[in-house]
Amino acid sequence: MNPASANSPAPRELDVRPILRSGGEPFQAIMEAVSGLKPGQALRLLAPFRPQPLFKVMAGRGFAHAAREIGGGDWEVLFTPEEAGSPVAFSADAEDPEVWPDPTVNLDLTELDPPEPMVRILSAAESMQAGEVLFALLSREPLFLYPELAKRGHQWAGNFDETRTTFRIFVRVGKVKA
Amino acid sequence: MPGATLSRWTMSYFAAACLFLVIGECMLAAGYGYPFAEVGAPETLALVHLVAIGWLGLLMVGALLQFVPVLVAAPLRGGRLAAPALLLIIAGLLLLLGGFGALAGGPPLSPNLLPLGAVVIVAGFVLVAGMLAATLLAARPLPHPARFVAAGLLALVATVLIGACFAVLLSGAIESDLLTALVVHGVPLHAALGLGGWLSFTAIGVSYRLLPMFMLAPDNVRTTTKVAWWAGTAALGLVAASVGLAVIEPSAMTGLLVLAMLLTLGLTVLYGADAVRFYRKRRRKAVELNIRASYAAFAALIASVAMFALPAMRAAAGEGAAALVYLFVFGWLSGLGLAQLYKIVPFLTWLECYGPVLGRVPVPRVQDLVSERRARLWFYLYYAAVSAATFSLFMGSNPSFRIAALAQLAATIALIVEFARARNLSAVAAASRFPVGVPRPHLFLPPFRHRSEP
Repeated sequence: MNPASANSPAPRELDVRPILRSGGEPFQAIMEAVSGLKPGQALRLLAPFRPQPLFKVMAGRGFAHAAREIGGGDWEVLFTPEEAGSPVAFSADAEDPEVWPDPTVNLDLTELDPPEPMVRILSAAESMQAGEVLFALLSREPLFLYPELAKRGHQWAGNFDETRTTFRIFVRVGKVKA
Repeated sequence: MPGATLSRWTMSYFAAACLFLVIGECMLAAGYGYPFAEVGAPETLALVHLVAIGWLGLLMVGALLQFVPVLVAAPLRGGRLAAPALLLIIAGLLLLLGGFGALAGGPPLSPNLLPLGAVVIVAGFVLVAGMLAATLLAARPLPHPARFVAAGLLALVATVLIGACFAVLLSGAIESDLLTALVVHGVPLHAALGLGGWLSFTAIGVSYRLLPMFMLAPDNVRTTTKVAWWAGTAALGLVAASVGLAVIEPSAMTGLLVLAMLLTLGLTVLYGADAVRFYRKRRRKAVELNIRASYAAFAALIASVAMFALPAMRAAAGEGAAALVYLFVFGWLSGLGLAQLYKIVPFLTWLECYGPVLGRVPVPRVQDLVSERRARLWFYLYYAAVSAATFSLFMGSNPSFRIAALAQLAATIALIVEFARARNLSAVAAASRFPVGVPRPHLFLPPFRHRSEP
């Protein structure tokens, strides 16, 4: 499980080699493919040369690129959206959130008035076993929750989704300190 | 690690600020300073600085120490300077007031208290600006609300430095033609940088985060917010440039200041539009009293800026547009301050008391710490009194001004009693007030038991 990419769709693939081979101009097809991408989705482009001019166009639309030669003079370029959600924040002691187990408790707290979401998360964590994971959706980043989680020995990782309207947080319940 | 913890000294800043507000309003009701003395008289200057530094300055610093970390999602830098900064600002203010007292003819006092007080105040605010600037610098790129605070901090530094120049000259410590020119032409600029740049611009920035937070409204940055920031910073830049002109070519200031006034009007309209947008897009249907009381403050902001832009209204508002300055200071800045304290004090108290036991035992809600029905009356009285006082200044009616100031004082004291009741958890049912493990909050001193924590 990886909090950062849990909701990122698989890259879309576009092979422009047939278009170029038949003497066509692939720019239109590429732009249509880009427009059809889901939020956070990457584009894998296959071309018979290194499409240098395209990098700048795509950078202007917020995509980073990684190009590699795949044999026979052909190139594969992966364009990834640079703002696919915001960077994931972690608690100081969060070890390898990628290998945390799947959540056993899921909470949608987006409609609750603050600080009720904080109360719900801390209550739910009280009834869970150490090592179990809780997942919650919030309408704000829970800045005042973090210190309370840390005091109780819980670890957390979270970020905003692509629309920046929902905050996603994973909480891994810590061991009760003697 | 990101996150926001309680700022240890914020409640002490708030308590000191409220005390200075009460003292200032007592002076108004007693007929001390304007309109019973000239706008430029030492008595008026003492009153103005008591309110601007003692009430509004300490209130804003206390709020920023708590909320700048929330704005940038990063811990406060240099938090241990908060207590010395508070003591320096209070001590400097008392020295400054002593200096004004000397100018007013108080025999045992010396005008030399003015530069001494100025130096101590500058030292206090430098510590504050250092803490907040270091916190902001560590969190670049700055989120939009924090940019307002950054610009406000620059205005704060400019304000206190210009004020220090005034203090040096007024005390007679140094004679200088340049400083004299600055005092002759620069007083409105000092006031504009302090009330507009430092206090208002910063309050606007913090509210861009707090309003959506309290109303559950989307806080994505809109073009209006960006343009508002540019208009405000451009206006501040023009005022700052005018400070230079005041010394070398005062006649050239007028054009810049008219432009700054128009930009401020634009900023006010855009900010008002954003505040209305938050209200319309909110997910929380019934808004709490702190929001409703803030809307009266926004109305005072728009009314005072719009009237200030009209030369006829400015002239009718008395010496130095006193009536409009009064509406700006007590309607907008103080009204917003009291309204937000009504939320911030209970919330910080709730977190301090119940944070350690959340989820383990049933705890009261934040709303259970206040009684909105009673406080609503005090806010009505407060804004009615401010309106009446403003109107009295327009009419030049001194007796009715004193009555209005007395009503304003009464409403303020009643609100401060509400804050103290929230601190003491008085409104919480006795049975659920102190579950096991809940500490009793100090009224305004920090919880010393947390001393060992980082």
